[in-house]
Amino acid sequence: MKRTIPYLRRMVQALSFFFLLYLIIKTAFPLELKIPVDLYLRLDPFIGIITILTKKEIVLRMLPAFGVLLLVFIFGNFFCGWFCPMGATIDFFDRILFRERKQTKSFSDQPLRRLRYGVFIFSLATGIMAFQVMYLLDPISLITRTLIISFYPPVIFVFNHFLPQVQSLLPKNLFIMSTIPMLVFKVNLLIFIFFIIILALGVVRKRFWCRYLCPLGTLFSIISRFRIFKRFVTDDCTQCQNCVKGCPVGAIPEEAPESYRQQDCIACFKCLDCPPDAVSFHFGSPNWRMVNSIDLSRRYVLGSLAIGFVSALVIKANPLQSESGLINNRLIRPPGSLLEDKFVSVCTGCGECLKVCPNDALQSTLLEAGLSGLYTPRLVPRIGYCEEFCNFCGRICPTEAIRPLPIEEKRLIQLGVAHINKTRCIAWDMEKICLVCNEQCSYHAIVGDEKKRPIVKEEKCTGCGICENKCPVDGEAAIIVYSSGVQKKLKPEPNSAVNSKV
Amino acid sequence: MVNSQDTKLSRRQIIKATAATVIPLIANKLPFYGSLAHAAEESDLGIPKNGSPSQLLRAAMAPLGGMGRFIKKGQRVVIKANIAWARTPEQACTNNPDLLSALIKMCYEAGAKRVAIWDHTCDNYQFCFSRSGLKEAAQKAGAEIFSGHGRNVYKQVEVQKGRKLKTAEMLRDVLESDVFVNFPIPKHHFATELTLGLKNLIGIVWNMEQLHRIDLHQCIADINTVRKPDLVVMDAIRILTTNGPKGPGKTEDIGEVIASTDIVAADAYAATFFKHPKTGKPFKPEEIKFVKNAYELGLGEIDLSKVRIKKVSVA
Repeated sequence: MKRTIPYLRRMVQALSFFFLLYLIIKTAFPLELKIPVDLYLRLDPFIGIITILTKKEIVLRMLPAFGVLLLVFIFGNFFCGWFCPMGATIDFFDRILFRERKQTKSFSDQPLRRLRYGVFIFSLATGIMAFQVMYLLDPISLITRTLIISFYPPVIFVFNHFLPQVQSLLPKNLFIMSTIPMLVFKVNLLIFIFFIIILALGVVRKRFWCRYLCPLGTLFSIISRFRIFKRFVTDDCTQCQNCVKGCPVGAIPEEAPESYRQQDCIACFKCLDCPPDAVSFHFGSPNWRMVNSIDLSRRYVLGSLAIGFVSALVIKANPLQSESGLINNRLIRPPGSLLEDKFVSVCTGCGECLKVCPNDALQSTLLEAGLSGLYTPRLVPRIGYCEEFCNFCGRICPTEAIRPLPIEEKRLIQLGVAHINKTRCIAWDMEKICLVCNEQCSYHAIVGDEKKRPIVKEEKCTGCGICENKCPVDGEAAIIVYSSGVQKKLKPEPNSAVNSKV
Repeated sequence: MVNSQDTKLSRRQIIKATAATVIPLIANKLPFYGSLAHAAEESDLGIPKNGSPSQLLRAAMAPLGGMGRFIKKGQRVVIKANIAWARTPEQACTNNPDLLSALIKMCYEAGAKRVAIWDHTCDNYQFCFSRSGLKEAAQKAGAEIFSGHGRNVYKQVEVQKGRKLKTAEMLRDVLESDVFVNFPIPKHHFATELTLGLKNLIGIVWNMEQLHRIDLHQCIADINTVRKPDLVVMDAIRILTTNGPKGPGKTEDIGEVIASTDIVAADAYAATFFKHPKTGKPFKPEEIKFVKNAYELGLGEIDLSKVRIKKVSVA
């Protein structure tokens, strides 16, 4: 039994990771999966708490996260050791890359251990200031974002590259399949480098990220002192240091292996592999006093809080809204998004909406929305347009930064208004018969005049961007959607005009 | 003049003719070129859509000599349907699913080995396929349905007879098919007045929007010179008369299915369903520029008086 537990844990970790992968793959067109595809994000109490702080209301979708929090009272940081897909990835790479490497000489990691509490307090402070940058460190959001933005496009690239070659080997027209439109995310390299750095930190210590940085792990650690499922060591302990070396998070102090830092233990049960069989886990009363706890001085806590507040203020006051320094009116948010300042504070930047968008219209921002809007979704019509009968992005947003709207309501949300650049339009400038924008428009918002030149009816335009997307002019389109700032609801069309028989 | 038919095929024809309750005595005399048959509900009240789509199609095919004239055993059939928009069947922006299903079944009855439905959709193909009900209809009838959203399914071809368009990327499957069926739905279209059979073939081209930059009307005609459809089945059961091509707009139940080997004649006939927005009179075929251009390229007969039209009724 004791021997099988590490294998069991590794298997559960692998299953958890592949389940996340499966959910991400299923975050696509029919969206008919019984389980919510953003399940992992909904189970993340860190996101749950920060969302309550920033949104100032309870998001029903995030309720499962508090169930996980309750389980922490029993089992401690079990989530990190068994189910966290980020932890599974780090464990895997630590194992294959840094296995032979001797752990560097033990150094006092007290300052580093303090760091994660500092980071956590910092993020709470910024959360109160309604600023979401700390989601960038949330492990679930991070791994989802990395998989979608950095790793999914290369998979498509490889698929598109090999598909025609495989097809050419087969008899003609036996196996017909179209290539998938290539995804273009300009932040992919940045996110990839960040991910690699996290993995590379395994050189210093196993699970460096989990020990010293992860804010979700810190949240679990804080509650872990109430855990009732605990480690016990009998007097048979010979101080052989076997468990000290084996512990992936360094929760067992060298000088006193019979005790352990319960706030750091991820319940991996590696220490059960004990030569004298002295270690056991069972239920016991919570231990308030922590063993070898870190010294969180008042000064440190207040300092972290202050840095959090000040940096949130500084970033909020950053005028960088667009390259020109003005409000970026090409910043079109997905349909049903909250107001801009609230949106950037509630969006976790997980990238689920980028994956689910059937036309790949949603792109991740770098600095277009300012520093505070890093990795938030924006609609780029030239790349893709907002599909008329699709409300997927709202249906899968875990924090409801994009509100879930029924399709009929979503159809009437005005994201922006299209404007025609008459000097580029081939109908206005060169008098050609085009009207592609008119035929593509789903809302009858573009009409042609007597010479078949397009005219936009602003009161009907929803800013879906199909006209800009399909405009046959090379490069920048002759019809461009500008954000209307605040999304508003248009009046529904009178039904009498539609479908009435002659 | 009709191709020599062996006994097997003529028997199949007879069965079909009986099914349609119309005895196509004239079938053997129909000229190969410029023939156009048309099935309509003959009714004094003018109540459309009395015949089911499958009956209409069988009746329409009978005067042409049945499906067996076009499809031989073991051939690969490609149908270019109109699934361009994510609209429901009632809105008449896409083909009638029942008619598509009947068409596929007739192809298989005639001995087709494989039937593929193609379109390069304008809206997202997944939404087009599911909302139009055509994916379900096609798959139930046993056909494969494909969307041309990836460039690898196209092939670069030279448009030798083209006046303005010199090269184009067209669906490989269409070019390499044994039998190509054009299955359009006539609709209002703001830019070109009408969407008809000739314009339906825009949906086999990769960069459709670019054609507008050259000369849309001429390009439509040029595209049709590359792979002439062996059969045109025009779905005029319900047509869209305003707000085309995407709709939703006003619809009109015509209740007709037109089968033809001459795409220009079929278009010329279908154009008369629509009223000219200025004059209020039915369109003359010459008023649709791409039909005229196609006629000038020798793709078919535009003058309906020179075309043998056979009106048949569904009992």
